[in-house]
Amino acid sequence: MLEPVLSINHLQVSIRSRDGSMNEVTKDVTLELRDHEFVSVVGPSGSGKTTLLRAASGLRMPSGGEVLFEGRPVTEVPKGMAIVFQEYNKSLFPWLTIGKNVAIGAKEYPQPERVTRVEEALEQVGLKGFSTRYPWELSGGMQQRAALARAMVSNPKVLMMDEPFASVDALTRNHLEDVVQRLWAESNFSALMVTHDVGEAVYLSDRVFVLSARPSTILAEIKIDLPRPRSHLETKQMHRFVELQAEVLERVEEAGRESVGLPDDL
Amino acid sequence: MTSTQNVATAEQKSRFYSFSLGWLGLLALILLWQLAAILINKTIFPSFTTSIVAALHLITGPIFETDILPSIERTLEGFLISAVIGIAVGMLVGHYKSARSWTTSVFDFLRSLPTPLLVPVAVVIFGLNGHMVVATIVSGAIWPILINTANGTSTIEPTMIDTAKTYGLKGRSLFLRVVLPAASPQIFAGLRIALSVSLVIMVVAEMLGGGSGIGYFIANAQQSFNINGSYGGVIILAALGWIFDTSFLMLERRILSWQRGTVGGSANA
Ligand SMILES: Nc1ncnc2c1ncn2[C@@H]1O[C@H](COP(=O)(O)OP(=O)(O)O)[C@@H](O)[C@H]1O
Ligand SMILES: [Mg+2]
Repeated sequence: MLEPVLSINHLQVSIRSRDGSMNEVTKDVTLELRDHEFVSVVGPSGSGKTTLLRAASGLRMPSGGEVLFEGRPVTEVPKGMAIVFQEYNKSLFPWLTIGKNVAIGAKEYPQPERVTRVEEALEQVGLKGFSTRYPWELSGGMQQRAALARAMVSNPKVLMMDEPFASVDALTRNHLEDVVQRLWAESNFSALMVTHDVGEAVYLSDRVFVLSARPSTILAEIKIDLPRPRSHLETKQMHRFVELQAEVLERVEEAGRESVGLPDDL
Repeated sequence: MTSTQNVATAEQKSRFYSFSLGWLGLLALILLWQLAAILINKTIFPSFTTSIVAALHLITGPIFETDILPSIERTLEGFLISAVIGIAVGMLVGHYKSARSWTTSVFDFLRSLPTPLLVPVAVVIFGLNGHMVVATIVSGAIWPILINTANGTSTIEPTMIDTAKTYGLKGRSLFLRVVLPAASPQIFAGLRIALSVSLVIMVVAEMLGGGSGIGYFIANAQQSFNINGSYGGVIILAALGWIFDTSFLMLERRILSWQRGTVGGSANA
């Protein structure tokens, strides 16, 4: 079998809290992301999804375990990995136009190829002609699409997404999900998305992992055998979709029940 | 788009009003000065018009090259040195938590030293000259810049730094291309304070031992009862302060023009 693009092995992350004590956020997470696969990790808010994603992408040193990207240990964000953050309004640089923001992802390419790449990426996410606008001139959904364009323009092997649709309204979310689905289908990157939204995880993924409450471990792995391409109208009405969604939801609720009674040091 | 245009016009209107109100206030002050001068003995308190004439005299005379220009140069030099050091150190201190903890008390101590007390020290090191004035300016003007820069840097959204690292911006390019622009609103606030502080310290330092300059000239004029001359010097200082501040604001508005729409509303989903 092909070597996985990204493997997370027994990842453990502890964070020093303000009083100096160590707070174990991620206890033991192991998962693999195979070539051109779409994998989601679902967990309730505060279960350590962002922490997991940051450690898996080299933005934070894990306290235990290892992360391999194309077989090599990850110590900083590797070339070939792009990240889309939940807070698009803090992720786009407000002093740069949309075009220049996207160009940051394209700095590997020499001019004038860079300009063409940026224009293409903007067109891919439906932002053709917005290159000279500033982020604040765009709606939230458009800003997140710009962030997607910046990720896509670097032609990544792995796209990491931290609740990429959590901060937009429901209709925009459906639209953005389909933008991501189309980009993933048209390109050959693998996607790892963390989210608290079960429906969204099932709708987009090949496999869904359920995260336990903090300190988090993987509770379950559920294979999503829905046909592709998927659409909100048809896929979500399928019996199989409803079944899978219920299965994931059940495991997530188990995770929630387990955490009841545990002290919460938030 | 229409709403942004409305905001812009409202902003322009209020700017216009505060602008004209400012001028009205200034006019009132000048009238008061003129009135007071008529009531008080003119030889110890020259009127506004007399002072203006004296100032024009100074500007067109030899004093311009021997004292006014050197003062401007020292002020700008001190300000620029403060800006470079203050911004660089401020970004490092603000970015690295570990640096912040051990520098805070040192900086708090240093910046609480009153500037006039530093003049004799600077005189011993540099002598009675322009270098002493510049050094004294730096010792005072660096703090508002450093502290504002450190504050602006430490409050940058972590997501922004994560984004920078994701796209391989690290080391110097992280600081120059992300930290510097992200903290620039606060940096500019600090720079503006530092510019007026530079002007004040320039005068004080020159009065206490500059060997030349507007401060030196004013101190001399006062001691030799050249009352009109000293008031002319004060008018020149006020004009310089106004020119510096106005030019600075124009530059700031240009450089921070991207900020226009971001204040208080970038998260309109
Ligand atoms: N920088 C940090 N400093 C201290 N504690 C943190 C930090 N980041 C995260 N945590 C802790 O980790 C927990 C999980 O956070 P996070 O990974 O953001 O969860 P999620 O993304 O699932 O909502 C938080 O509840 C918090 O207690
Ligand atoms: Mg999170």
